[in-house]
Amino acid sequence: MALALAIETSCDDTAAAVVDAQLHVHSSVIESSIDQHRAFGGVVPELAGRAHLTTIGPVVRRALVEAGLDPHAPAIDVVAVTSGPGLIGSLLIGLSAAKAYALAWDLPFVGVNHLEGHLFAPLLERPDLQWPIVTLLVSGGHSMIVLQHGPGEHEVLGETIDDAAGEAYDKVARWLGLAYPGGPEIDRLAAGGTPGTLKLPVSMTGEDFDFSFSGLKTAVVRATEKHPEVALADVAASFQAAVSEQLLRKLRRTLVAYPDVRAVALAGGVAANSALRRGVERVAQEFAVAALLPSLSMCTDNAAMIAAAGWYRFAHGGPSDLALSARPSWALAEIS
Amino acid sequence: MRLCPDDVATRSAGEAFATVVRPGDVVLLTGGLGAGKTTFVKGVARGLGVVERVTSPTFTMVHQHVAHNDRGIATLHHADVYRVESVAEVRDLDLGELVEEAGVVLIEWGELAAAVFGREVLTLSFEFADDEETRVITASGAIDETRARELANWGAS
Repeated sequence: MALALAIETSCDDTAAAVVDAQLHVHSSVIESSIDQHRAFGGVVPELAGRAHLTTIGPVVRRALVEAGLDPHAPAIDVVAVTSGPGLIGSLLIGLSAAKAYALAWDLPFVGVNHLEGHLFAPLLERPDLQWPIVTLLVSGGHSMIVLQHGPGEHEVLGETIDDAAGEAYDKVARWLGLAYPGGPEIDRLAAGGTPGTLKLPVSMTGEDFDFSFSGLKTAVVRATEKHPEVALADVAASFQAAVSEQLLRKLRRTLVAYPDVRAVALAGGVAANSALRRGVERVAQEFAVAALLPSLSMCTDNAAMIAAAGWYRFAHGGPSDLALSARPSWALAEIS
Repeated sequence: MRLCPDDVATRSAGEAFATVVRPGDVVLLTGGLGAGKTTFVKGVARGLGVVERVTSPTFTMVHQHVAHNDRGIATLHHADVYRVESVAEVRDLDLGELVEEAGVVLIEWGELAAAVFGREVLTLSFEFADDEETRVITASGAIDETRARELANWGAS
């Protein structure tokens, strides 16, 4: 049975996983430096880099041991690693580690695009899924709608023209004085609030598939300054509803434009948001397609998804050169 | 000083600023959430002939864009230090590395970065006017007379 060791360090999580070629996950370890970042209201690149440096060795070791392998001489066939996009300092640590393991154990290694990794996440839990799939990929750094005709065959239909959805969550949370990361905090507060209390615009109602969250962020700032009496829970609920509404409108538009689509998938850190998960399930029902809502540990950054994408890229393009460099702004559209 | 009643005007102000900016310039953009900094940079990018889409660089800290113009500016570096909280961290980012002869560097949330670059930089501060809609962009910095005049013209239009 062929095994891949995958490493992911593009942002604040250090992750390693062992996944076989049939995409069965033998181990998946995630170590977050989020506690350190909480004090700063965001991911501080320098902190993330330093945290990866201290955790990468133990995390890889744990992934190997949990998969039942000898950590000193593991029976691995390929090393996959995220080589972009992400924070340059963080990417470099995972990439250098992967190269070192590949050299030491005389294994091929393959660089993987982090966003393509997210697109492969549903395959790890739903091997029976049917194509084409429309994926709403929403995280702190990215917001896009991707049409997938099959594994590794993707087309970016639309993306944010300014801020990512998760970025809007973090910035609004910080404005409201909430803890980092902002998504879970706003989600929690929103459960006790009434959406629509604050009148907020739903941006980008045009005919395309693009998003815009910058105007919404500004609108929250303006509205809360004007109406300081509105309860925090109501602000959170209003903001969350406006974000979901925009994302779901564009998802519906996609399903109308591509009627042969068989499933809608949610990926990225914002996929943990309860309002969005409910919304995507609702849209899937409306259009009678499957809803692929990966478990929370598969939505957020993990190395199992990198292994899945790595197997595909290794099979279709062979190993990467050991001189491969990290690409902090490697766009998904540049792959296929 | 330049008044921008809406996003379109903020973008135009950026486009006009592209005719004033010079190779090697470091421009700090300061101002609160939603004050129009990224919108302004979109305008500068358009003015410098950047073809690709300019989005917020908050996540990866720096975006590099290839510029197509006859002004000797081949690269637009768009940085954002929103997530950085101390001068030491700004130093660690080594934004100074971005400064090059054929490029310009625009840094959002640049207050902290000022301490790293010294005063030989242009600062554009973004504020809301009393109507809470109009953005007021004010330029400052240690610059020579010619530039001061150019900027005054930029501000007057």
